[in-house]
Amino acid sequence: MKVDRRSFLGLGLGAVAGIAISPVGAKLTDDSSIWTQNWPWTPVPPDGKISYDHSVCSLCPGTCGITVRKIDGRPVKIEGRDTYPVNNGGACLHGIAGLQYLYDPCRVTTPLKKINDRFEPISWKEAIALAAGHLGRIRKNDQAHTLACITDTDQGSVAGLFSHFMTAFGSPNHFVMPTLESWLALTAQTLHGKGYTLGFDLENADFILSFGAGILEGWGSPVACFKANSSRKQRKAKLYQIEHRLSTTAAAADRWIPVTPGTEADLAMAMCGVLLTENLFDSEFAAGFKGGFNRFNAMVQQKYPVEKVAAATGISAADIKKIAIAFARAKMPVAIPGKGRGDGAQSLKEFAAVHTLNCLTGNVNKKGGTFIKPVHDYLAFPDPVLDTAAKDGFGKAKLGASVQEMVTNINQSADPLVTALFVYNANPCYTLNDPSQTRAAFEKIPFVVSFSSFMDETAMASDLILPVSTFLERLEDVPSRAGLANSVVGLTRPVLDPVFDTRSAGDTVIQLAKTLGGDMARSFAWNNYRACLEDVAAGVWEDLSGNGYALLAEGPPTDSVETSFAFLSDNPQTIYPQGDYALTLVPIDNMRLPGTVPAASPFAIKTVSDRVLKGKDVCVEINPDTANGLTDGGFATLTTPTGSARVRVNFNEGIMPGVIGMVKGLGHTFDNKYVAGKGVNIHELISPVIEPGSGLDAACGTTAAISKA
Amino acid sequence: MDAALIPEGAKRCSFPKFMLGIAIVGAVLLWGVYAMLLCWFKGLNQTNMNDYYGFALWIWADLAVIAIGGGAFFTGLLKYIFKVDELKNIINFAVIIGFICYSSALLILAIDIGQPLRGWFIFWHANVHSMLTEVAFCLSCYFAVLTIEFIPNILENRQLNKVPFFHHLAHNMHGVMAIFAATGAFLSFFHQGSLGGVAGVLYGRPFAVREGLLIWPWTFFLFTWSAAAFGPCFTLLVTRITEAVTGKKLVKDNVVHLLAKISGWMICTYIIAKIIDTIYWATVTAPGIGFEMSHFYTNNSFYGYWILVTEIVICGVIPGILLINKSTRENPTLRLLAIILAVIGVCLNRWVMVLQVVAVPVMSFDTWALYIPSWQEVATTILPVAYGIILIAVTYRYLPVFPQELELNKSKAQES
Amino acid sequence: MIQDKKAHKYGMVIDLDKCTGCGSCTVSCMSENNIPFKEDESDKKDSITWMRVYKLTNGKSFPDTQITYLPRPCQHCGGKGDHGHSPCVSVCPATATDYGYDTGIVSQIYTRCFGCRYCMVSCPYHARYFNWWDPIWPEGMEKYLSPNVSPRMRGVVEKCSFCYHRYQLAREKAYYDGTHEIAEDAYQTACTTACPAGAIIFGDLNNPSHKVHQIVKPDPHPDPLNRDVVGKSRNPKVFRLLERLGTNPKVYYMSEREWVRKLGDNYLDGEWEKVKNHYGAASHE
Ligand SMILES: Nc1nc2c(c(=O)[nH]1)N[C@H]1C(S)=C(S)[C@@H](COP(=O)(O)OP(=O)(O)OC[C@H]3O[C@@H](n4cnc5c(=O)[nH]c(N)nc54)[C@H](O)[C@@H]3O)O[C@H]1N2
Ligand SMILES: Nc1nc2c(c(=O)[nH]1)N[C@H]1C(S)=C(S)[C@@H](COP(=O)(O)OP(=O)(O)OC[C@H]3O[C@@H](n4cnc5c(=O)[nH]c(N)nc54)[C@H](O)[C@@H]3O)O[C@H]1N2
Ligand code: SF4
Ligand code: SF4
Ligand code: SF4
Ligand code: SF4
Ligand code: SF4
Ligand SMILES: [Mo]
Repeated sequence: MKVDRRSFLGLGLGAVAGIAISPVGAKLTDDSSIWTQNWPWTPVPPDGKISYDHSVCSLCPGTCGITVRKIDGRPVKIEGRDTYPVNNGGACLHGIAGLQYLYDPCRVTTPLKKINDRFEPISWKEAIALAAGHLGRIRKNDQAHTLACITDTDQGSVAGLFSHFMTAFGSPNHFVMPTLESWLALTAQTLHGKGYTLGFDLENADFILSFGAGILEGWGSPVACFKANSSRKQRKAKLYQIEHRLSTTAAAADRWIPVTPGTEADLAMAMCGVLLTENLFDSEFAAGFKGGFNRFNAMVQQKYPVEKVAAATGISAADIKKIAIAFARAKMPVAIPGKGRGDGAQSLKEFAAVHTLNCLTGNVNKKGGTFIKPVHDYLAFPDPVLDTAAKDGFGKAKLGASVQEMVTNINQSADPLVTALFVYNANPCYTLNDPSQTRAAFEKIPFVVSFSSFMDETAMASDLILPVSTFLERLEDVPSRAGLANSVVGLTRPVLDPVFDTRSAGDTVIQLAKTLGGDMARSFAWNNYRACLEDVAAGVWEDLSGNGYALLAEGPPTDSVETSFAFLSDNPQTIYPQGDYALTLVPIDNMRLPGTVPAASPFAIKTVSDRVLKGKDVCVEINPDTANGLTDGGFATLTTPTGSARVRVNFNEGIMPGVIGMVKGLGHTFDNKYVAGKGVNIHELISPVIEPGSGLDAACGTTAAISKA
Repeated sequence: MDAALIPEGAKRCSFPKFMLGIAIVGAVLLWGVYAMLLCWFKGLNQTNMNDYYGFALWIWADLAVIAIGGGAFFTGLLKYIFKVDELKNIINFAVIIGFICYSSALLILAIDIGQPLRGWFIFWHANVHSMLTEVAFCLSCYFAVLTIEFIPNILENRQLNKVPFFHHLAHNMHGVMAIFAATGAFLSFFHQGSLGGVAGVLYGRPFAVREGLLIWPWTFFLFTWSAAAFGPCFTLLVTRITEAVTGKKLVKDNVVHLLAKISGWMICTYIIAKIIDTIYWATVTAPGIGFEMSHFYTNNSFYGYWILVTEIVICGVIPGILLINKSTRENPTLRLLAIILAVIGVCLNRWVMVLQVVAVPVMSFDTWALYIPSWQEVATTILPVAYGIILIAVTYRYLPVFPQELELNKSKAQES
Repeated sequence: MIQDKKAHKYGMVIDLDKCTGCGSCTVSCMSENNIPFKEDESDKKDSITWMRVYKLTNGKSFPDTQITYLPRPCQHCGGKGDHGHSPCVSVCPATATDYGYDTGIVSQIYTRCFGCRYCMVSCPYHARYFNWWDPIWPEGMEKYLSPNVSPRMRGVVEKCSFCYHRYQLAREKAYYDGTHEIAEDAYQTACTTACPAGAIIFGDLNNPSHKVHQIVKPDPHPDPLNRDVVGKSRNPKVFRLLERLGTNPKVYYMSEREWVRKLGDNYLDGEWEKVKNHYGAASHE
């Protein structure tokens, strides 16, 4: 057939028409849209049977009860557990985001050994053998006391196991990271003797005088504090917030009283003076004071006259008096110490002075008051078997009163003071002030063992990582800490099998002791951590395993306690921000950014305001009055005696002129693009200042300068 | 080389020169196509749009090309319905420009939506309450009409016209073109209007919202009116550019003057309506929901009162006056100035009704949202321009687009 | 099985005096509804947060500054006159977002949405978010995704659904239990149950036994000052965002602080003083 132009065109047109009216086009169109609805790279979560597990969140000292929703055993959602005696429904964002930690890009998935500055995976067997080998040699060389240990707390059975291990091994050098609880316990110990801690009945108090305590910023047990604040609003109970910045707590308060940072201790002393001169103190309680009530009275009158303190704090003398009097006249007043979250660098003087206000009102161990609680020891560890190495070592002097002091001593000493170090659930290479000092000390320690779930700054600085299961994968008792009125111990339960090759730190410690053999092994006779927990917590195990918690004490303590003013009567020195710059840099605790371990989850970072974190830059708050030549949102160089950093400027009318605020919890340097490499770690800009009397770092801020970058 | 395809008697540049021009513009086109493919395969993250700027450069381009493409329906309406016969000398070109504008609009929409493969849901799951549904239906139908209006001109190509079927088809289509022109005018009325409605119904956006007639906010009528008013200016502008590029006069002055005059009167009436609308909105509608007029023009680094003055006075009142006044209209320089201002004016109006609408803060604690388009957006917006240039070049070369071309260039052709 | 046919009108009251801006609601929502995250979320204009918490100030300088937090889910607007023509629903060309007359919930059908973003432009609350990117979870993390809510594909719009799947589960449960009546506590959104401050109260605005109704006391009649507005609260401490536009949100806010209430809407100079004591008519009670 001859194909001429006509038939060609005809054929072509015919074909086009044919395809157009056939269902092919419609079918392809439909199929392609259906394909977009089922893109294989968009996950389809498998469905299944719903179940709920109760557990306890241990991401912070809050210890909230949680409920985990699971689908065919796969956890999909964390919510607050209703009727749990700490939080009673509701949870904070970190707890709710908890599942993200299971699959965190930074998780340590298997034991790791550092070889030439790189981590190589090894088996658990090799890892334990490696650690035991090292420790065995130390012990054999009569150097047992050169093993040091840092844990996040000294409460609960896992911390107990570390402590047990240190004693049996023969080292006095078990240190606890500073937390609100450690400060409260130290305060109680200083005023009332060992074995006590403080709790605050915020749910019932009718006047809360907060010395910068961020009860809406993560102070204490965060969810419990939020609830107390809500009930306070309903009860019309007053909150006065003394703080250099309009924090969320200050904004929620009935009154915000801006104060020059670092002078809070002086203010509390002056208020004590007002109560004493105005005869507004509880005479019955005063009668029980030890250590010279009159001496304290005279010292306060002499050193902290209201006018002098007014000048230092920036609060008028009349206001100081009025506030102190309003506080003392309230029916159920409570003064709370601990700036921000109350952890990290704080001052014992400030804690003691604030607590003295409570003592003076006499609203102690009463409903709506301050509870001086015995630290409830629900755990009964057997006495460790002490061989001579243990006895010798344990008898040696401790390397300081705090982790910070130990770090300073290691750096200053020519001798290797510490030859091996355990770090559990703590990140001192990030959270201590001037962490470069900590990292330098770590460099000097030949064998650092990190018990960590994540490859954080401290894990990176260690020689061996024994990965720990997260709170969702492990069993652990978690006693409530952080200033709660009630004493509760909860049970964290594994809601799924470990996702990776990780273990409970308890199991690892027991295993390590067993491998060391001899008397060490005898001190750790349990088969595993579960057996140990059931044994040492036998007194409360039934409640723990049944309800998921045990209520250790409820309501005001009944025992009478003595109070000694010896510490304050000596008028310990107040630690002011150090250096010669004109401005003061202070850390900001932000509920959405954890300051310690673990670092923020991707969800938490996502909630952070763009006035705090913009791209990779941290924004520092400054009053426009102080912002000489700076522009809102512009770049600036922030300089302190310790270092300098490039930051962005965030004008905030709610911060005192002369003060620069920078959030805590940013500037992580590990390998997680969602969380790290953002902003600056404020601790890099502040040097520690050891407070005489407590031996702890009390540098709540530093002087600073800021200029256009 | 391609002489057999070129209209009889017409003078065209050499084929290599033509291809060189096409290649240069084609390179720009390919750049746009590359950006388009990026948007399709990687998604709209290739743009700088965000959740505040859900409508951005593209939607502006879309509305703008449809507005300036309005010359096609309006010229068609005048020619076929109102029997303004002189316009037969420019109608072909008006249709081609309209075709380019509308096909560009459809292409831009196909790039703009997040799920292009589901684009047809707008028809299948149509929501009759949505102005965008109305836009989609009318736009597609009108594009079909434009294609039909374009076909006879294509069939007049020297070679195609030799095929008797095409010859007769073209002839007969010309005969019934009035029906299509009427249909096109009707469809255009609605889709131009509903594009205006897209903004006017946004009662959550105080900058856009307008009261109106029945279901149609005033912007509905203003958009139709402005497209009819300013569209011919664009036809004239492109004609003028084509004349400049080809170095030939293609349309007689009386035709140009006539269209310019009609356009001038349309602009004047439109701009009066627009001024009344603006005053009513600024003094009644916006204050009624708590907004002072200054709210929309202050506290940001871009949208000041200048934009209002430019749109209404400089690019509205002034071209209107220049075009209704015989002496200025017939002065080539002033006429060119007027049509350029007019085209800018209508484009600026569409900009304001798309981008300023979303830039203005509405919640009392919100802030202005400003945005700068990404290169991908710019490239895909230039893509239709390149495509338009190529299509005009090709049609001009091979089709008898301008009936007066031979007559106007006779002497020159004979001389050579 | 679709039994409970009574017309509910689910809504919320958020107590801004209790809200601490902690962000638990935001995270609970993200976790409940499989919301993804990306490396940099500091550009809030492309950060998907169905529940966004705004930090607002009274605009005064030190030391008179005050702040408040304002959580903003989708307001589930009833539209002018509360007839169901929400700003977003009325504009969606593909009916991919719809008004549930039985619940008052504005739904979003991800598989229907073709990503034209007109609804986003129409929403004055910025409650709608576009999936500019494919949702990608770090390796393994997709294991925590919930099957109750399908993860969205790139190129579609999403927003707060009042945790519609929880409504569905409650409705099914009510059916199986034979009660056919969804109890107040049987359907609570993920942000409500998460809030540690108890600042969010959720329930049926039509049901006088529900707390939301008791707090809001919605006036069922149009506001005489603006006929588009229906359901104005008769509680002087309660207000809605941009109520004057006539969007008729079902999310109400509560504050003792006048400056906070004033921030809820736009007012001409001096206008607030005139209208601040105008709330839903008591005579309709
Ligand atoms: N509010 C709301 N309305 C909806 C929907 C929604 O999500 N929300 N979903 C919509 C959708 S997708 C659908 S499919 C419809 C479903 O709506 P319906 O079709 O009403 O679905 P069902 O109520 O599940 O089933 C109808 C009846 O069939 C009975 N039945 C079960 N098995 C048999 C059988 O073998 N033979 C006979 N004769 N009867 C049987 C059941 O007992 C029940 O009474 O609802 C639509 N309506
Ligand atoms: N258990 C159960 N299974 C069923 C049925 C049933 O009645 N019960 N019915 C069967 C039938 S007939 C059908 S058509 C299919 C439907 O099954 P699907 O197509 O899966 O529909 P849904 O589960 O209704 O909704 C899909 C997802 O959209 C989410 N979503 C988010 N926002 C919204 C919103 O605003 N509205 C709605 N509706 N969903 C939203 C829902 O939470 C849910 O995760 O299911 C079938 N399977
Ligand atoms: S407050 Fe602490 S314990 Fe409670 S949920 Fe949050 S992180 Fe967990
Ligand atoms: S969870 Fe509650 S307190 Fe926290 S931001 Fe949301 S509404 Fe406010
Ligand atoms: S808040 Fe926005 S998205 Fe939600 S119903 Fe109203 S207009 Fe629609
Ligand atoms: S983006 Fe989706 S939901 Fe929004 S209007 Fe377009 S199609 Fe409808
Ligand atoms: S109601 Fe549900 S979807 Fe809406 S903000 Fe709250 S948690 Fe998110
Ligand atoms: Mo269905």
